[in-house]
Amino acid sequence: MTQPLPPGDRTPEDRTPAPLGAGALAAELPAELQAIVEAVDGVTAVYPARPLWQTIAGAARSAVTGEAPAPVDVATSGAGTAVTTVTVRIGVSGAYPAPDVARAVAAAVRRRLSPHPVSVQVGIVRIGNVQIGTN
Amino acid sequence: MSTPGDTLSCGHSLADLSEYLDTGQIGDPGHLAECPECQSGLASLRRLSALGSELLDADTAAAGSGTDDWMKAILGNLRLELRPGRSIPLRADTPGDVLTETEGSISALIRSVADSLPGTAAGKCRLHGDITEPGAPITVGVDLAVVYGHPLEQRAAELRWKLATTLARQTELNITAIDVTITDVLEPRMPDPQETP
Repeated sequence: MTQPLPPGDRTPEDRTPAPLGAGALAAELPAELQAIVEAVDGVTAVYPARPLWQTIAGAARSAVTGEAPAPVDVATSGAGTAVTTVTVRIGVSGAYPAPDVARAVAAAVRRRLSPHPVSVQVGIVRIGNVQIGTN
Repeated sequence: MSTPGDTLSCGHSLADLSEYLDTGQIGDPGHLAECPECQSGLASLRRLSALGSELLDADTAAAGSGTDDWMKAILGNLRLELRPGRSIPLRADTPGDVLTETEGSISALIRSVADSLPGTAAGKCRLHGDITEPGAPITVGVDLAVVYGHPLEQRAAELRWKLATTLARQTELNITAIDVTITDVLEPRMPDPQETP
């Protein structure tokens, strides 16, 4: 289940965050982030972040391994102070302002990954309609 | 309901979605839960079916068959608008974050607002202007089919007000105009004298 980032045994002088891209933590992170995104008010769905052809390849791989791919994409790039890029596509409820929901999702992801350097990419791909009455 | 055979970006066609609505059968049902374009398409087709029912209630012959010109035009535009389209930027609280809405999501929203009015169906829904540039002036264009008997000017004014309210809440676009054009008035069929006792 959800585990906090390991504190490690580094000295206080070493303020560089530990990389996210290795071990069981990295394997669980996309699913954990998906749950975090789904819990944001106004989010109605989390869609696969990768293009269709990659999804098809992933689905084929899943059929072999039995593992379901997580919709949230997490990629780490760069050496030294690596930057983690989190990509997520969401549907939102018409009851909430969509731009506010996107910012809330980015903030929730950042809170989870703090203090690691992170870039959050949130794409809104579907917006529900709330009936507006005339006055 | 017959539909054009063109496919969406995910590989499914409006005909696939229409068949799914009619029969509940589709090759990969799991895909529907993961595809926002298919979900928007299904929602639009459901609303079109509802309008078709209203036309049949009004004794308009075969209006919902999908063979009429106005229905073909709506389905043709729907196919185009179900594509993700351009990315519309949203303001991010933190530099380095990239927040966007797809043009397709906004087009689908415009269409759903138009279709929610009684006796109307949206034809073409377009965003004119550089939506990828924050603050650029944007014009919304909506073509509307209205069932005969519904007040045209009132429907157009109501739609303009609802769209202005909805887009101000759901986007950060600089909407400078909303143009509503009534392109079709769907007339009820005249009673056949031979059917009258």
